[in-house]
Formats: sequence, C-alpha cells, structure tokens
Amino acid sequence: MKFLPGPKKELAEPLLIFRINTREEALLLATLRLYPVLADHHHRISRDPKTADSAEQRLLEESMAQQRAEHRRKLDELFRAPQRFFKDAPGERRLVLTGAQLEWLLQVLNDIKVGSWVQLGCPELEKADPVKLTRVNARSLQAMHLSAQFQSVLLEAVK
Amino acid sequence: MPETSAPIAVPDTEKEQKPKSKDRPDRGYLVICWNDPVNLMDYVTHVFQVVFGWPKARAEKHMLQVHQTGKSLLVRETFEKAEHYVHQLQGYSLHATMEREE
Repeated sequence: MKFLPGPKKELAEPLLIFRINTREEALLLATLRLYPVLADHHHRISRDPKTADSAEQRLLEESMAQQRAEHRRKLDELFRAPQRFFKDAPGERRLVLTGAQLEWLLQVLNDIKVGSWVQLGCPELEKADPVKLTRVNARSLQAMHLSAQFQSVLLEAVK
Repeated sequence: MPETSAPIAVPDTEKEQKPKSKDRPDRGYLVICWNDPVNLMDYVTHVFQVVFGWPKARAEKHMLQVHQTGKSLLVRETFEKAEHYVHQLQGYSLHATMEREE
C-alpha cells in the first residue's frame, strides 16, 4: 500500500488516494474486523487512585463507549459497501479516503495496535526480540504489526 | 493648602476585584501525555497537531519530550478543558491523563 500524492485541487474536501493490492485490501479489512481490541477498563482519567470511581472516570468511559459505537457503525458501513472506499483505477486498485475518514481509520487502527500490545503483556518493543511468537499470541502479534504498517502508510498522507 | 478637601471618590477596589478573582478560571489542571513503546512517533505528533491545533514543530517537541523523558506536560487548563483534551487524546488511544497541579 502506498500513498499517491495528487495535485493540489480546490476541493472542499480533498481526497487522499492510496494504491493498494487485493492482498493488502483483504489484510486491511481482516485487521479492521478485529476492532475494538482495547478493553473498556483501559482508559483512566488520572493517575490519582482516588479518581478510580469518580464521576470524571465514568464520563470518560461513557465517552469512549460512544466513540467505539460510532467507529463500529462506520466500520459496518465499510464492510457492507467496500466499493465506497476501494475503487478500481486503470491498472491498479485504490483506497480513496476523505480527511475525516483517514482520521477515523487512524483511531481504529491505533485501538487495534495498542489493544494487541496490551494483550501481549505490554512488551518493550525497542528490544531486539521483544515478543516470542507462540500459538497463543500469534493473532495479537500479527494484528499489532499489521495495524502499525497500515497506520504508517496513512500517516504519509498527513505529513 | 486647604484644611478640608472635597471627598474623593475612591473606587471600591476591594468589591470590584474580589469577584474577578473568584470568577477567574482555575487553570490548575495539567494534561500530561505519558510514554509507551507502542505509539508511533509520527502518530503522536499528528495527534497533538489535531487535538491542540499546534504547528508541527511544537507537536514534535512535546512528542520527543514524551519519548525521551517519559512524559510531557501538554497544557495547564481549567477542569472542563483538561477533561475535554484527555477525552480527545484517549480517543486516539494515547496514554494521557489530567492531574491536579500540586
């Protein structure tokens, strides 16, 4: 998958176009189907233990639940009609996003990445071999790497 | 020099200033982003730009501070604004919290 910088157009909402092959498209959709991965209790409003049962903490959890439902709704639309996002162009397949859709995908992919990392036991990723692949953790490891890879390409478009 | 003088109207500064200080918003809440090894540096920079509207250089400065020192104080704000920013940052799965300034 690769960002295709286009000529600057005077569009109200410029489109961001990525070249993508069918294998990558299938992998991206399979990765997105994992959403949400981060557990409900992951979000903390403060490091102060006194806030654990506070109104602020509950408000944060409600806010995250609302966002998750909204992301899930948009993902369902994507899965129902992938042709709205993935389009055929002469000689290639393309993923076409608005800026808002790109932000949404970045958030979804990061939930999958961070959630998978938490499932792996929050390993120190800067070590040479941070996680040993096992049958148990293979899915989380793959999801973490794939979501990071897709996220990197999407970030090329906002640089 | 006259022995008596006309009364001078002294503004009631006590009364005028007190409500001002009472109404002054309490910007004693710190929004802090904590380091984790999983978020991409470009991603963190991008999120700071989107959430705070910062230019790239400022966003990168805070991202590097998080990366190198383990945390960065992003803004000092009122309770409501700090809470809003934490919701935004956590929506992007960044490890951000609001803490009362000591």
